[in-house]
This record gives sequence, C-alpha cells and structure tokens, in this order.
Amino acid sequence: MSLTKKLQLYRKQLHEQNQLTRPEVSQSTASFEMSESRQNEAIAAAAQLLNAKMNWLDDQYVLVYSEIIPIQKKVGPYTLAELDPAVSAWQSFSPRHPLSACGLQTEELLFFDTETTGLGSGAGQMIFLIGLAHWTRQGVVLNQYFLPGPGHEAAFYHKFLNDTKSLKNLVTFNGKAFDWPRVKTRHQFVRNQVPRLPAFGHFDLLHASRRLWKNRLEAVRLQTIESDILSMERTHDVPGKMAPFLYFRFLKHPDAGLVKGIMEHNRDDVLTLISLYIHLSNKIMGRIGPDLEEKFEIARWNDQIGETDRAQRQWEALVHQPSSFRGRAKLRLAQLYKKQGAYSASLNLLQSAIRDPDVDVGSIYIEAAKLLEHQFKDYRRAQYYTKEALNYLYQGDHRLTEGFQSKEADYLKRLQRLNGRIGEHDRIKRNITRASAKTP
Amino acid sequence: MIGHKTVDNILKELKTDPNIVHWRTIPEKAAHDVPFPHAIDDRLKKALMRRGISSLYTHQADAFQAVMAGNDVVLVTPTASGKTLCYNLPVLETLIEQPEKRALYFFPTKALAQDQKNEMVELIDEIGLPIKSHTYDGDTAGSVRQTIRQSGQIVMTNPDMLHSSILPHHTKWVSLFENLQFIVIDELHTYRGVFGSHVANVIRRLKRICRYYGSHPQFICTSATIANPRTHAEALTGRKMHLIERNGAPSVRKHFLIYNPPVINRQLNIREDESHSVTRLASQFIRNKIQTIVFAKSRLRVELLVSHLQKVNSGLQTHASICAYRGGYLPLERRSIEKGLRSGEIVGVVSTNALELGVDIGQLQVCILTGYPGNMASLWQQAGRAGRRQEDAVVILVASSNPLDQYMAGHVDYFFSRRPEEVRINADNIMIMMEHVKCSAYELPFKNGEKFGEETVDDLCDYLAEEDVLHYQRGKWYWMNDGFPANNISLRSAAQDSFAIIDVTDRGHAKVIGEMDRFGAMTMLYEDAIYIHQGVQYHVDDLDLEERKAYVRKVNVNYYTDSDLAVQLDVLATDKHAECDDPVRHTEKGYGDVAVRALPTVFKKIRFETYENIGWGKINLPELEMHTNAAWISFDPELMNIYGKDTFQGALVGLSHLLRHAAPLYVQCDQSDLSVVPKIKAPHNEKPTIFVYDKYPGGIGLSDRIYSELPNLLDKAREMVESCSCTSGCPSCIGFVNEGKAAKLTLRRLLRER
Repeated sequence: MSLTKKLQLYRKQLHEQNQLTRPEVSQSTASFEMSESRQNEAIAAAAQLLNAKMNWLDDQYVLVYSEIIPIQKKVGPYTLAELDPAVSAWQSFSPRHPLSACGLQTEELLFFDTETTGLGSGAGQMIFLIGLAHWTRQGVVLNQYFLPGPGHEAAFYHKFLNDTKSLKNLVTFNGKAFDWPRVKTRHQFVRNQVPRLPAFGHFDLLHASRRLWKNRLEAVRLQTIESDILSMERTHDVPGKMAPFLYFRFLKHPDAGLVKGIMEHNRDDVLTLISLYIHLSNKIMGRIGPDLEEKFEIARWNDQIGETDRAQRQWEALVHQPSSFRGRAKLRLAQLYKKQGAYSASLNLLQSAIRDPDVDVGSIYIEAAKLLEHQFKDYRRAQYYTKEALNYLYQGDHRLTEGFQSKEADYLKRLQRLNGRIGEHDRIKRNITRASAKTP
Repeated sequence: MIGHKTVDNILKELKTDPNIVHWRTIPEKAAHDVPFPHAIDDRLKKALMRRGISSLYTHQADAFQAVMAGNDVVLVTPTASGKTLCYNLPVLETLIEQPEKRALYFFPTKALAQDQKNEMVELIDEIGLPIKSHTYDGDTAGSVRQTIRQSGQIVMTNPDMLHSSILPHHTKWVSLFENLQFIVIDELHTYRGVFGSHVANVIRRLKRICRYYGSHPQFICTSATIANPRTHAEALTGRKMHLIERNGAPSVRKHFLIYNPPVINRQLNIREDESHSVTRLASQFIRNKIQTIVFAKSRLRVELLVSHLQKVNSGLQTHASICAYRGGYLPLERRSIEKGLRSGEIVGVVSTNALELGVDIGQLQVCILTGYPGNMASLWQQAGRAGRRQEDAVVILVASSNPLDQYMAGHVDYFFSRRPEEVRINADNIMIMMEHVKCSAYELPFKNGEKFGEETVDDLCDYLAEEDVLHYQRGKWYWMNDGFPANNISLRSAAQDSFAIIDVTDRGHAKVIGEMDRFGAMTMLYEDAIYIHQGVQYHVDDLDLEERKAYVRKVNVNYYTDSDLAVQLDVLATDKHAECDDPVRHTEKGYGDVAVRALPTVFKKIRFETYENIGWGKINLPELEMHTNAAWISFDPELMNIYGKDTFQGALVGLSHLLRHAAPLYVQCDQSDLSVVPKIKAPHNEKPTIFVYDKYPGGIGLSDRIYSELPNLLDKAREMVESCSCTSGCPSCIGFVNEGKAAKLTLRRLLRER
C-alpha cells in the first residue's frame, strides 16, 4: 500500500499522535497556500509598515530595520550617554575583569540579542530576529534583522555578517550559552553562501548579574533585573515566550501587526543591555556605592579572577565594619592570608569569626584545625577544633543538610589522623622521657 | 560424598533417566585459520600477535577483505567467534592509513558499548598510535563531550543517543559527519519489531545527514544466527549487503539433551514445573564443581532458581558460589561476576537473556535452558555459552508445558532441523515513520520530491504542514515549531501515547518503573490486575486515564490476571487475499489493514502452575481503537451447522490458542507482539474467522509474514494437536475450552481434512 493511501487510512490516529506532542498555545487552523509572489507582496507591505528595508541576496531577502536613538534617551536609571564615561572609567581600571572595556572605544561594544523559534538548542530551531546596537556620539545605532521566512536564511546571515565585521565585543545576556551556539548552528546551514563567522568574544551580563544578585532575585532574568534592579517598567510588552507562535502565524499570514510587538520587545531588550552594562560597570568600579552583599560578591569575583590585591582591600573593608557579611569576609580573608603565608593573621581572623552569626561555624573550625595541624603542628588544638566542628555538625538539623555525610566523613577522617599523630607524638615523648630517666 | 563426579559420570547417569526424551551429540568443528592478509599494517599485526592472535579465522579475513573492498557487509557470528575483530580490523586499518576518517559504532545497550570500548582501547594501546576511541552516551561527562564531538575517531554509542542527541545536534558533529567512513551495527538481530522499525528510521535520518555533509559511510553489521540476515540488514540500513556466513571459529563436541519433566497430574495432563527439574539437574553439576549456566526467561525465575540452587548446595562443605546475572546490574557488579566466572570462583550462574548479547564471560561447560527461549536464534546463542577448551559441552533444554515446548520435545528432528526464524521490521509503519519524518525535518529541511527510505514523503510533509509542524517555502519543508521532536519518541516503547507505571509500594518513595502504550495499559493495567514487571508481581491500585498513570503495588500472589476483551475487528482495506488450497471447504485467507476496537470487560485470575481459573472481576474502561495490520483465516459458515455452534466455537478458540503459540515458529517475536482473536462471524465477510494482528498501531510486519506462512502454521497446529495425548484439551494443545472433547476432535478433523 502506498504511503499516500496509508496516510488517508491513518489520518485520525496520526492527528491524535500529533496532538500529544503539540504545544499548548493554539494556533490558527485555517491555512491557505499563498503563492510566492503574493507572499513577497504581503511581506513588502509588512516591511513598509515596520519601516524596514528589504535587502536582497539573489532571490532571498531580509528585512532590516534601522534607527538612531538619541543619546539623551533614558533607559532605567541611566541615559544612553552615560555609557561613554563608564567605558572611560574602565581604561584606568583592571583590564583583567571580565566586564572590562579597557582598551576599547565605546563605539566598539556591540549590544546583541536574538529571538528564536524555540528554546531548544538543536539544529531545527531558527533565529528569526537579531537586534544589534552600538553607541556613537550622535546616538545609539540600532539595527534589527528580521528573517521573513525559513528560505531566506542566506540573505539574513549575509547581511548581518557583512554589516558587522567584528563580533569580538558582543554584550549579551546569556549569549555564550544561548544566542551564539544558535548562530553557529544556523550558520552551518548557509556556510557556503555567506561570510565566515568571525571570532566571538563577549561580555556576558547574565553571568555578572548572577554573581551580584542571585540571592535577591527569584530568577536571574532580564525582565526581573529590569523591574527589581533597574526599577524599570515595561508597558504593552509581548512576552518573549509568545514570540515563536506569533512568528509562525506571520509566516502563514505576513501581517506587520503580528511581529511589530516582537521587534519592539527585542529593541527594548537591547537597550536594557546598555543600561545594565553601565550599572554593572559602575558597581564593580565603585562609581556608585555597591551595597554590602554586592561588595562581598564583587570582592569574591576579584579574588577568583586573580585581582588579589583589590580583593584583599575589599575584604579588609568588610571586616572592619560590623555587618551581616563580616564573618564570611573574615573566612575569605583568612584564606587569602593563608595563601600569602600570614598564618597567625589568618588564625586570628578565624578565631574572631567563630562568634559572627553569618558563617558556617563548622567550616571555620576546620579551617582553623587545618592551619593548626599543618602550619603550627599544634595537634591538640587542631583536635579540639575538629571535635568542635563535629559537635556543631551534630547540632540542630545540620544532619538534614546537603553534604552532611561527606562533611562528617571528612571531619572524622581528620580527627582520626590527628588522634594518631597525638598518640605518636606522645609515644616519642614517653620514649624520650624514659630514655632520659634511664641515664643516671 | 567421596570425590567428585566428572561430566562423564553424570552424563552416564543421565543416559538412563526416562525424562531425557532426546540425546544428540554434535561433533566438534576444527578452526579454519588463514594468515593475516598482506594489507594489514605491520603495527596492527604486531599488536595482535602480542595479544596472542597469530592468524585469523576465515570469516575475519573475509570480513576484512570485503570491507576494504568497499562493501556494506553483514556477518553472521555465533557466540564467542571473535566477531569484534571482523569490524575492528578494517576500521583500525583505515584509521592508521587515514586518521581523518571516522567510525560510528552502535550497540543496543550502554554496557556493551563500554565493554567494546575497553577492548578497543587495549588494542589501540598495543598498536601505540594515538587513535581516539570513546563512548558517547548518557554517562559521558559534559567536559569531554566537546572533545569527542570534534576529534573522536571511533565513537561508540547506542541508537537512542543517536536519535535524541547526536542527530538533532548534527551541526556540532561536523567533523564526524564529513568524514564518516564506517557505521558499525553490532547485535543486528536485536533491532526487530517496534524497536527495529524505529532504528531503521533513525538510520534513514543518519544517512540523510551524511549525504548533506558529503559522506557515504559503509555499514558493517553483525548478527546472531537468524534466517534472514541479509534482508534484515538491508531493511534496516537500506543498502545492498554483502553477506558473510561461513564461520571459521572452532567448536567443541556438544551433547544436546532434551528433558521433558514428568507428568504429575494425569487427568489434566500437567507436568512438573520446569524450574524444579532445572534445579535438580543444575545442582548435580554445580555440586561437582562443574561450571554451569542456567537461562531463564524472567527476572523472577532467575531469582527463584538462584535461591533454590543455593538451598540445595548449602549443605556442602565447599560452598559453591552461585549467583544471578541479569540486566540492570551496575558495571562493577557485572565485572566481578564476569571475573568470578572466568577464574572459576563462581560455579553456577543463572541468567536472563542479558547474557545472550556479546558480554565476555568466557565459556562454561554446561548450559541449561529453562524452557524453549521462544526462538531458535536465542536458543543457539544461549547454547553457545557452553563449550570451553577441549572438554565436551553439555546443553540441556528443559521443556515447559506450553504447546510449543511440548511440540518441540515430541518432534526432535523437526527441532534440530529448524532454521532460525526471520526477524521482521516495518520501517514504513506510518505511525513510526511520521515521527521520524518530523525529527528528520527538524534536522534538515525536506526538499520537494526528497526520499526518506524508498519513497518520497511530500504527502507526509504536506500533512505535517497542515498540522502546523512544518512550513513550506520555496520547495522545502522547514521545521517550524518550538518543540524538540526527538523528546517525544522513545525508540523502545510502543506508541507515544504512553502510560507511566508508578510503584507506590513505599508511599514516600513512589517511582516510575516502566511505561506502556494505551492499548497495553487498558488490557494489562486495569484496576485489580496483577501486573508482572521484570518478574516482580504488582497489584494495580488505580489506572488514571487522564494523567496516563497506573499506580501499582508489590504483591506476592500465586495467580496472574488475563483480561477478556470484547474485540471488534473491521477490515479497512484488504491488501492480499487468497483461497486456501481446499475448494470444498471454502477456507480463505487475507491480509490488510484493520481497525481493532477493544472493550475490556472482565478479567480472570489464573493460577500459575495449573492455569486454573480461580476468580474474576469487572473492568470499567472505555473502548479503545487501534489501526494495524492483520492476517486472517476464514472458514465456511456451513461448518457451524455440521459440528454444532458450541463445538465449532470451542474448536475455533482452541485453534487460536495453538496459533498464538505456534506463530513464534515463523517469525521472531514475543507472544505479546501478536494478538489472536477468533470471531464466529467476522463483520467483513460474515464467516467464522481467526484474526492475527500486530499489537502495535500501523503494524510491524509480523502479520504480513503470518499471512504467507499460514498453510505451514496450520500444519504445525495440526501436528501439535495430534501429538498431544490428552482427551479434552490441556495447556499443551488447545487449552481449556468449552466442549473440550468434541472441540478437540472437531479441530483435528478440520485441520486434517483441510
């Protein structure tokens, strides 16, 4: 039996099978075939309404929307103009910081965001909108590239890549894990028709935001940051997750109204990236006062990227004033001192941290025990602190916390070793005493 | 006990055992060796020699030549015949010459891939070249995945991983797909039925992607002995295959014994449970420290046998070590068992068919099969586990009381002359294919007129466009949906509309233990059903149709449940039709598409050993409908007047019972893959008819085969009923039916006069 006949016979079951895997958002079911030329006409009309140009490559085209946004425009707490002083400030700050624009002109930063046909990362999800902005003294130049249909990807990437020779300084929100892999995936499909992908380098504002605000935000998403950190409010926004469905509908009926909202959403996202970059830079460089938690996290970040001096100064500042981060700062600073060989200073800090309420006392005890055992060879006090750590572990509901078992095993192992060392130590001592007793 | 008995001693004793119904000695076979082909690189040759291999078996050399000549090859290889070298040699040789080339291996399980990788790595180390061979599966650490994707030369994976991870992300595997030279499919015979039909479609997708990247890989397949290795490999891969069947591996002399347990209830013709016989036989060998492997069909059986055997042997001073081996064990446990077997520390092992696959446990001296394993391929795979070194091997098949086993026990010549069964798939099953067309469109847009398998799929794509899954533009269908289609398809479960089976024995720790398609769920997971999952019995507390969940609880009862279905069968289209050879009786057969509408009505509780009906209950579920393929045989309605309605109906039910058991003789399948339904008046022709249908929507090619084998199948049914000594029906022939005595007589006449 031919496939066609089978298809007739099994239509109902196949439909049911499809229903099981369908997204919940319902789509228009009435569909009609549109001829190629009518489709093009309809898209041309939509392009006009969207103020976008149709840019042709052979028989394909891409819609490009361009706008120069005045530099005085306010996005959240900042005007776009404030990007320039922030970039200037980086010039005299650490070049090692992941957000550092040291050595860059303000004009070189490219703020980048995409809209896709789905959140999946496989070969079948497309990017249908790329928003790209860069700063100039005259205003922020925004370009949006809109894919009018899946058959136009060559034109889409061709135009995008020709316009942007370098992608070394992209500023994105999760671009490394989301947008860029998708660009790479789709580029594979048109690689013979379009320029090669340039080297990719970027500033990931998601990563930075997570470092600073993961405890205070329910979810570190651009929308939450806008409302909770930048005190912005979006009215009439098309939620990002609706974008694929509106786009699918557009493909069937090219109507500007369906995608206008998505393009505005994307434009807003790109502008927020600028504001967020200014905000993060100002916090990190101390141009605006970070709060305690931000200070703590910024110091931790500096520590991790090897900006030890800066981190040390920041820890020390935190240690010198009472706060809910003091104990944690002490622990970090003690570890830093230990690395530098300042063992006594390290031990003193640890001992003073035992009374601070914001630390896991168990780990303080253990840090102290480590110092005493390995640096001071004071096994008895090391043993004492290890026992204290165990006592602390057995208190309250610590048993129920994650990692209890590995901690317990760890502590017990340490204790056992220390017991052994003390025993050995005592034996040697006894032998010496006995030996000296024998000598007349 | 003084001293140990040898195998010969025990065999001598068995010679006089009246329950041994047959004894056959299969002579040994010498090895056929040939020197290494010249084309093999010296480094590879030396590495092999250091590993104690100084020549090749003929089939290994044949495989090497055939692959190097550019053929797609399928090899038939019995257990322990050195099959890995058949594909590793040409692959390594190619990689030594052209390191940029790539090979993709896939194995039915992760464990096998792991085993093979270890063996490969050892050989590569011996060669001393930096050839990169990796497994890529769910256990592969995220940190090395990228390295494997970019530079792994030999990637070992499984079809599920290929389906849900590698193919949908092919853009990350460009260097693999651009340079893919070999696709190795090991254990080809395991890709049958629904699973095989899915895998055939995964391979179609794989080939599309290779075409896109400009590679044309060769296939190298290995299979256990099946009737149709070439056609099966061709159906699975869509390539013309070069078949290598001649095997050069040696084998020792084998004693093949068939043991039929004694009848313990004359009236009901019931035999001793085969587990008891197996325990008795196995403990004789184990007690004398003769390494023995026992195969059983379910995990429950395995566990039971192990505990029986351990009990029997517990009085011994030297406590012989006996253990179970089945799927689901952790690699470390498996390693220690395998090691114990090789070192002789473990004397007895009881296994499910997990050990049928190419796991290396060395070879044992005695193999005991608890019942006919259902197909000849499995039988010989399992029997192949016996036969070590120079000593004689012993294989004992202990027959169970089902009709097929009893028939085999009574017709040993037939048994030994049997060719292994055919393995069937139906890659064009529209329900399965449609899902893979979606996945494939996700991976690469379909061009107008493009083929998927043998046929163009324009119509299917149009349909998917109507369903808002694809979008047509400029001669291509593009994926235009926010979903990830591979996620919704499991290659190993039947329909996608699957029910989760949730074990709530421990209220606090409910866990999903399996899944089942809707049809299966409604016939096996109704409230109060006893559901047997991997040998463990569960009571079904609740079946939630909306949420597609069945809640089950562990129990231990001595019965199982069987549902009665009110089944309506409507023939939708007849593809094939023929009068059977007998013009007088107007018997006819047909094959085509049917709509099965089933309404579960009641269920029976049936005692395990005796198959007695010990209770029943009602099932309250809605009717369900499935379209599938069926074969049918229709009789002249006049027969009802001749024999009487009740008697004739009994005969029809009895014949169904026989056909259900005899079907696996002609096509390799589980009994649960096929359904047999007698209808006293089929709606499409108003004749008494027996339908045999594929229990999977769209069919998987089983009933098609049944249609062509119907005359033989009926002959077999006749022999089965003729040779059974009972008078009014028993589990070994027509089962327990109304008017048993008359029905059996009628059926005998019906089949004889056919």
